[in-house]
Amino acid sequence: MKPLFIHRSACISAQETFGVIDLDKPRESVDNLLRVIEPEYRDIPTAILRRMGKAVRIAVGAALDLLPCEKTDGIIIGTANGGMEDCIKFLNQVIRYEEGLLTPGNFVQSTANSIASQVAMLGNNLGYNSTHVHRGLAFENAVIDAVMMVNEFPGTRYVLGGVDEISAYNYTVDCLGGWFSTKPASSGDLYEPGNPVSMAGEGATMFLVDDCAAGALAQVLAVTTLHSNNLHAVKRHLQSFLESQPAAGEKIDLFLTGENGDPRLLPSYLACEDVAGNETPVARFKHLGGEYPTSSAMALWLACQVLQQQQVPANMMKYPVTGNVVYRKILIYNNYRGNQHGFMIVGSIEHGSGA
Amino acid sequence: MSTICITGMGVISAIGHSVAENRQSLIHGICGISSLELFPTKYAGLLPVGEVKITTSALQEKLHAFETGITRTTLLALHAFAEALADSGLTNQQLLADDTALAGATTVGGMCLTDELYEDANHGSPGSEYLASYDYGSVNIYLQQRYGIGGIINTFNTACSSSANAIAYGARLMQQGFARRCIVGGVDSLAKFTINGFNALHILSPEICAPFDRDRKGLNLGEGAAFLVLEKEEDAAGKKVYAKLTGWSNANDAYHPSSLSPEGNGPFLAMQGALGGARLQPGDIDFINAHGTGTENNDESESRAMNRLFGSPPAFASTKSNTGHTLGAAGAVAAVYSVLNLLHQELYPGLHFRHPIPETGLVPVEAYVKRRLQHVMSNSFGFGGNCSSLIFSNV
Amino acid sequence: MDTETLKQQLKEQIIKFLNLLSVKPEDIADDQPLFGEGLGLDSIDSIELIVLLSREYGITIQDPKEGRKILVDINTMADYVEKHRTK
Repeated sequence: MKPLFIHRSACISAQETFGVIDLDKPRESVDNLLRVIEPEYRDIPTAILRRMGKAVRIAVGAALDLLPCEKTDGIIIGTANGGMEDCIKFLNQVIRYEEGLLTPGNFVQSTANSIASQVAMLGNNLGYNSTHVHRGLAFENAVIDAVMMVNEFPGTRYVLGGVDEISAYNYTVDCLGGWFSTKPASSGDLYEPGNPVSMAGEGATMFLVDDCAAGALAQVLAVTTLHSNNLHAVKRHLQSFLESQPAAGEKIDLFLTGENGDPRLLPSYLACEDVAGNETPVARFKHLGGEYPTSSAMALWLACQVLQQQQVPANMMKYPVTGNVVYRKILIYNNYRGNQHGFMIVGSIEHGSGA
Repeated sequence: MSTICITGMGVISAIGHSVAENRQSLIHGICGISSLELFPTKYAGLLPVGEVKITTSALQEKLHAFETGITRTTLLALHAFAEALADSGLTNQQLLADDTALAGATTVGGMCLTDELYEDANHGSPGSEYLASYDYGSVNIYLQQRYGIGGIINTFNTACSSSANAIAYGARLMQQGFARRCIVGGVDSLAKFTINGFNALHILSPEICAPFDRDRKGLNLGEGAAFLVLEKEEDAAGKKVYAKLTGWSNANDAYHPSSLSPEGNGPFLAMQGALGGARLQPGDIDFINAHGTGTENNDESESRAMNRLFGSPPAFASTKSNTGHTLGAAGAVAAVYSVLNLLHQELYPGLHFRHPIPETGLVPVEAYVKRRLQHVMSNSFGFGGNCSSLIFSNV
Repeated sequence: MDTETLKQQLKEQIIKFLNLLSVKPEDIADDQPLFGEGLGLDSIDSIELIVLLSREYGITIQDPKEGRKILVDINTMADYVEKHRTK
């Protein structure tokens, strides 16, 4: 595929990632949750802000940070659950008022596409507008959509993002499903052996992307997805993905893994670490943003930070690194609930086009 | 750039459980909108709906689908998906290949189980069997697992234009080398959640809907599913090809969360973009399968957009007066119907129309007729200003 | 309840129900239009206010268009509530 160039990015997360960025001393979870730090939303008119549930607020807040003076040709969003908080509020009304007279605001805000729609309305953007909702690959599918859009319409530029929030739906239901636990735990201990599950997080990460290298921060060189519960199939897929790249012989400078403390998923993360190369530095990010379906958007943001700053915060490194590393090519891998796998290769601009 | 061909179709709706049944109903102007029997709701008998008259357990029996946590939405999708696959003759090997993609759509997902979700989300239960089934991705994840589809799997939710976007996405994956073939479509089932949501917006009609009619009172919700198999022309040699997908476009109205701009800017841009993509002029379109939900807002905005773009619009009609508004399935159901228009060179009557909207003066097709058709446009416009338009052409 | 108290109550309820951030009751003049240029409410708000009138005052308004004629400003709203409340 032709590379997708990232020109600007914004990330609202449980860490200091928006405005002044500081990842050196990560904040830890509170009540087993990695809730976002919400900024002051100066660019969202209060008349509109009042209606927004958290997913829409943080998404729009992050997107508007990218937009001043930028022309964009469309909005492409990945979100597995959309405005789930509003969904549950409306659902509760339906049951509690026994289908009586209900307020529609929560229903309208709960629709998954309300994020992309709100960004479009605030920017008066009548261009391409899509919302991808395929659970743990919602963001990867959005990336593929953006790659295709700039290919079909050279010179166009898009807001590309991944958003999901913690709400009663995905937290309570997910605890019942065995994905999170209410037994007191800290994100600081996420990777300790014996830790039984992952930790719920949320975030909104937005990028301004197009097909132009000049002025870009980084480039997405390749993206692939896989549905499989078979460890060997995952390994083969990654091997074949790496071998099929134009610069296949070049080494990977960093393996950014979605390892999340859930022991059930560890084998596939370790297998992919293996494929990425024994000498390849490995960095983890789920202790920063938590586990949510579109967390790979935060991973992409982190990859951009590493490529620009040429350093990885010590708290992210899984193994000690000796010597200086020049980061030019980063492999991101995320495994969502064991059967959805997303891989992205992100390169620096000096690295040259992957096409 | 490969020509995208349709080599298989499947549909289930209030007017039939197969492509053939749906076609017969369309020809004979059958209306599938009636009283809700599927689940207990205050609105049974008050708000007409386009219900698929087969119970969830009957669907399970018919499809041999007894997996824990399977939802009605998934079952409806499976029904249409299985029909499309059988129709296309895709082999098992092809399905497993990593260049076979699936692009589907839903706006309800597993939330058809409104009461169960309420219990699970509010600690009310020890956890129902549906914990992994509520989200939008659950439908296509099921289909992928059941059939072993090896390539890109995606789910769209752009409200009422969801499956039109899924269809376009599939074609784009193929043209840009991300897939060799793609099964595309969408589904939605009736849900207490959606009925109450639309009712809260006061856009449901207490009568059977009358798209483009002066006295229309709103839409009727419906349920259903439709899938189409897309293959490249070179791969379809020797196979029956129903029609070609020659144009697609997506634009945003950017006006209001739940209504279209009076001038219909989003619809106008979507239709114009589809024409551009297909390299056609407005005059080349022989028929428009309109979104036509029967709401005051949509039908007037859509009419204005058609007038603006076409000057004198071609023949058009909406099938939502047959099936109700199937939301996430609407774009795909309309796509199947558009392919039937082309395949059989015929137009189906738009039902319950009596008087044109005074401000726009448009009259839909009112009787079944055979007609020479080369290009059919299919429109889907949704909440959030999401507007999409597809163009199908005769082979 | 006297009219002035009712008007104050309505302002507080509108602010809370519609989540009107950074608006205080004293910011809403009794004759300030609720929709369009005044307080800037829109069609979804008009439906929400109909629900408010039902839940707080037991008033049923079937048609949102009828609702817009009643919900012109605080004065007309208070007047209607006084005449039609069942709670």
